[in-house]
Formats: sequence, C-alpha cells, structure tokens
Amino acid sequence: MKKISFQADVLPLKNELFRLALRITLNHAEAEDVVQETMMKVWSRREQWEQLESIEAFCLTICRNLSLDKIRRMGNQTASLEPGQDPADRSYGANPEQQAEQRDRVSLVRKLIDQLPEKQRTAMQLRDIEGKSYKEIANIMDISEEQVKVNIFRARQTIKKEFKQQEEYGL
Amino acid sequence: MDYKYIEQLLERYFNAETSLEEESILRTFFSQTDVPAEMQQWRPLFTVEHTEELDDEFDARILEMISEEESHTVVARRVSLTQRLKPLFKAAAVVAIFLTIGGALQAPWDNSWNTPDDYAALQQQMDTINYTPVQAENMVTGAADSTSVMLKDHPKD
Repeated sequence: MKKISFQADVLPLKNELFRLALRITLNHAEAEDVVQETMMKVWSRREQWEQLESIEAFCLTICRNLSLDKIRRMGNQTASLEPGQDPADRSYGANPEQQAEQRDRVSLVRKLIDQLPEKQRTAMQLRDIEGKSYKEIANIMDISEEQVKVNIFRARQTIKKEFKQQEEYGL
Repeated sequence: MDYKYIEQLLERYFNAETSLEEESILRTFFSQTDVPAEMQQWRPLFTVEHTEELDDEFDARILEMISEEESHTVVARRVSLTQRLKPLFKAAAVVAIFLTIGGALQAPWDNSWNTPDDYAALQQQMDTINYTPVQAENMVTGAADSTSVMLKDHPKD
C-alpha cells in the first residue's frame, strides 16, 4: 500500500468534504467548521491510515458524522440556503432572460436537493455530484447498498416530481 | 441526432437504474450547448457545478493547526511512555506484597498436618506413650541434663 501523505492525499479532499458538509448542514460557516474538525480528526488518527481501504471514504464518513452531530446540536434552527453561491451560467449564446431562467433552475436543483431528507440528500450528493459508486456510498453512510439505492431512487423521484410541478406553474 | 437513447437513460436515471458510466454520459450530454428544447428542463440536474469551495487560507490554517498539534503530541507521547509503565510497576509491587504476605501465612500451615489421617496417626502415637505430662516434662529435662552431662563431663551424683 502506498504511503499516504496528509498534504497530498487528505487536504485536496477539502472541497469534496465541504460540499458534503454543506449539503448536510446547509450552512457555509458550519460546513467549514465541520471540514476543519474532520481534518483534525483524520490527522489525529494517522496511525490507522495504512490499514484503511480508502482514505477518501474514511474522511467522508467522519465528515458526515460530524455534520450530523452539528445539525443535531444546531437543533431546530432551520438554516436557509446561502445566497449568492449560484454557479456561473455556462449557457453560451443564451439571452439574458434565458440565462436568468437557467440560473434559477440551477438554484432550484440545489434547493430541491436541500429539501430532501438528510439520507437522500447525502446519498444523492455523493452519487450525482461526487460520482461515487453505490458500494462506496454504502460504506460512507454505513447502510446497505440496497438502502442507498432506495434513498437515491426516492430522491430522484422527488426531484422529478418537483421539477414537473415547477414546470407546470412556471418559475 | 437520435435522442431516444438519452431519453431512455433519463428514464432509467430517475428509477435509479443507471450505472456511473451512464450517468456520466448524461452529464456530458447535458453539458453541451445544443440540448433539445424538450430536454432542456433536465439540464440543471446534470450541470451542477462545483462552485462551493474552500480557499487556500483554509489549507494554511489546517496545516498550522496540525503542526501545532504534532509538537504537542510529541511531548505528550514522551511523557506517556514512562507513565505507561508506572501502573505496571505499581501492580507488580502490589503482587509482590501479596505474595510475601501469602507466603508468610502459608508457612505455619505447611508445618502442620495436611490430612486428618496425619493428625490421627500423631494422636495414636501420643496415646501409646504412657507417661503423664509431668513425667514427660521430667524426661525432657532429664534429657537436657544428660546432654549437659555429656558436654560438660562432671558427675552430679
């Protein structure tokens, strides 16, 4: 097994961890805190690195657990979506109106994902954004592959339904 | 271009039946500019970008915290090595004390009879001796006297 270096292997995971934490906590500052705690925790367990199957999965698992702790501690403070974090529009040649619509839709996707139950949210984030296999997700979330599938299925069905609804009523 | 395949993929995507490869095909498809109008609505689903990122300042902070933590742990570990043996020594000392006390307590028992039979035999031996306690006492002193007689060599009577 190759030697794992913190700077080369763990630190570059920060954005992936951050996105996961953000998806769970729905709060920028908290998510950053979580990633920081995750890094420290991973560092403090550096003796175990060599025995790990995947340092990435290990980090993601810790990150998820810390995020869950965080939202539990935050209690019922319903965090709103962070404004001003919409991705840049890449639809070349679209007129401003279309661009605006496109942007709304992208933020709608994020909003819809963020409204899902935590498990579905996390599963969908890991699958659709980070491109993880069912097995990896099951490992990270500590549930069976079958449950991962169910969660992703429900998430996508909900998104589809909501999308269709939005389509009918217009944005 | 035939969009049947993409439509199929979409359908399977929503049923969570697509593989990672197929999902990446969908992403590639939707990332191009000329997506047909009827599929335009699904585009945002596959073009979510990684805009949520942490800056380099975060790296610096983490690395600093780690180097700090490392310097702490090195010291802590050196202390813990000696401390780790301390309870062991204590335990060993306690065990030694108990062994000593136990051994000391065991000694008188070792000198006594181990079975009732031994006691009975001794009792029997005692019963066969027809001396009264007083005689026995005199005999002992007599024996002691005879020893002194033998040693010192001066006739009394």
